Amino acid sequence: MRRALLIVAVAAAVAGHARADEPSMLPTVEVAPGIFVHEGLQQNASPENGDEIANTGFIVGDDAVMVVDPGGSATEGRRLRAAVRARTALPIRYVVLTHVHPDHIFGAAAFAADGPAVIGHERLPGALAQRGAFYERTLRRDIGDAAAKGSVVVEPTLLVHEKLDLDLGNRPITIRAHGPAHTDNDLSLADARTGTLWLSDLLFVDRIPVLDGSVVGWLKELASLREVRAARAIPGHGPVSVPWPAGSDDELRYLTELADETRAAIRSNVGIAEAPDHVCEEERGRWLLFDDYNPRNVTAAYKELEWE
Amino acid sequence: MKPTIVALSVALLLGAALPVRAEVSEEARAQRWGDLQHAIFGDRAVEDGGSAIRLTAPDRAMDAAIVPVAIALDDALAKNVKAIYLVIDDNPSPLAAVFHPGEAADMREISTRVRVDDYTYLHAVAETNDGKLLQTAHFIKAAGGCSAPAGKDQALAMQRLGKMKLVIEGKRPADEPAAIAAKLLISHPNSSGLQMDQMTRNYIPADFVQSVRITYDGKPLMTIDGDIAISEDPTFTFAFVPGAGSGELKAEIDDSHQRHFEQSWPVRPQAQM
Repeated sequence: MRRALLIVAVAAAVAGHARADEPSMLPTVEVAPGIFVHEGLQQNASPENGDEIANTGFIVGDDAVMVVDPGGSATEGRRLRAAVRARTALPIRYVVLTHVHPDHIFGAAAFAADGPAVIGHERLPGALAQRGAFYERTLRRDIGDAAAKGSVVVEPTLLVHEKLDLDLGNRPITIRAHGPAHTDNDLSLADARTGTLWLSDLLFVDRIPVLDGSVVGWLKELASLREVRAARAIPGHGPVSVPWPAGSDDELRYLTELADETRAAIRSNVGIAEAPDHVCEEERGRWLLFDDYNPRNVTAAYKELEWE
Repeated sequence: MKPTIVALSVALLLGAALPVRAEVSEEARAQRWGDLQHAIFGDRAVEDGGSAIRLTAPDRAMDAAIVPVAIALDDALAKNVKAIYLVIDDNPSPLAAVFHPGEAADMREISTRVRVDDYTYLHAVAETNDGKLLQTAHFIKAAGGCSAPAGKDQALAMQRLGKMKLVIEGKRPADEPAAIAAKLLISHPNSSGLQMDQMTRNYIPADFVQSVRITYDGKPLMTIDGDIAISEDPTFTFAFVPGAGSGELKAEIDDSHQRHFEQSWPVRPQAQM
């Protein structure tokens, strides 16, 4: 335990030091041996933050590197790549796009020269075909043309149907394709060596979860994930590492209330336009960006649940 | 029967559309509305409805594919209205719906949910029995509603296709002894033709509810001409004045694939069906 803490402390010091010398490198924390995570800002995309608002990172095996969520722009992707190269010269064989949202995928273009397999859920190509052009436009609008330059959709080359087992060199990684939850194309990763679950946006900590899939489905996936024994979990937004399953207690509470209170609103004939004022009010002080996303979450849950 | 609304929408679609971006001038928007008025109402004058007609919708859509829109009329207009037109100016197919009330309808408020494709004005126009056209507008910021992905489970949606639910929401308003508010839910993908199937990556053909005929005790209560701008799983809220005893409310749906669905419910206030 102390050794792990020491590694983290040294890594943080190195990361901090490296950032001072090379502002173009993404600072990361080694949350477990060989697993490096950059903590995204808890904000909406803006010119000031360049859409660096999600947790991104990479896993290093004996033979190869896997990048997980290459970032919100080609610029961030380049900064992440610099962080990889600061630690290892091993080939970047895989880039995993955990789901379709722009803050996780637009860094992929920065890894083109590495020729990696780009991994996505089997439903990701369709989601990209539908939303990709729209996301490219909104990225330019949100962070500016210059900052968004080069941020184009990169198609996955390797699709996950239910499960995909890979090995980075004495480092087996299992990637799971989930049913509709945060989106309908969510992937999670499990690193056997350290007992780490990389959950990306299946897990939100501190920042309000965003419902863009199915609230019923998300509760189901979360219940199943909470049964998995793991030393830690990496959320898509929040601290780089949290205990498991305790780190998902807040999210479980929020999603449960979202579902239960939306059902109650539907039963009392509260309309869809009014429902956001009646659902999850007690969660207000507990989540960053609550007002930005709770109303939208309620609308999505309402539409899903009124047919139950 | 060739639904007027479809022919109209096609005509509008073929006409010049504004570039799809948020930074459009007020002048260009006014021009657009002028063109649409002409396409829908010909040379007839469309007046400002003042406080007689109100359009309620968010200023910024939380989900551009499910934007709740309510149209409220004052007492006088509610008793004298022949039709209400709902227009989403910058949508690919701007005329979203036309509501035709029957005698039993209480037209003080109707609502539905629509897809909004870009920052746009919404317009509601009430046509009175004596031929006047009264308009109101609301500006909304939204994007991508018409091409938003269809529901997560296409297979489930097709299984449930055409099923309806009627929810009696109680008496409205409290001081009116007779009016009952109801919400009709129709399970239907209402595909816009602009959405893509996530697995095959082909465009899902337009497949939408064209006509909703609601009758009460066999008499027309409301007929709604719909288009692709109505959200997936169309939902309409309306009010009506039932007769002396309880009667049967019936809904008949026709969609663009020539499907026909019917369902009826005995009306009992305060009950959910």
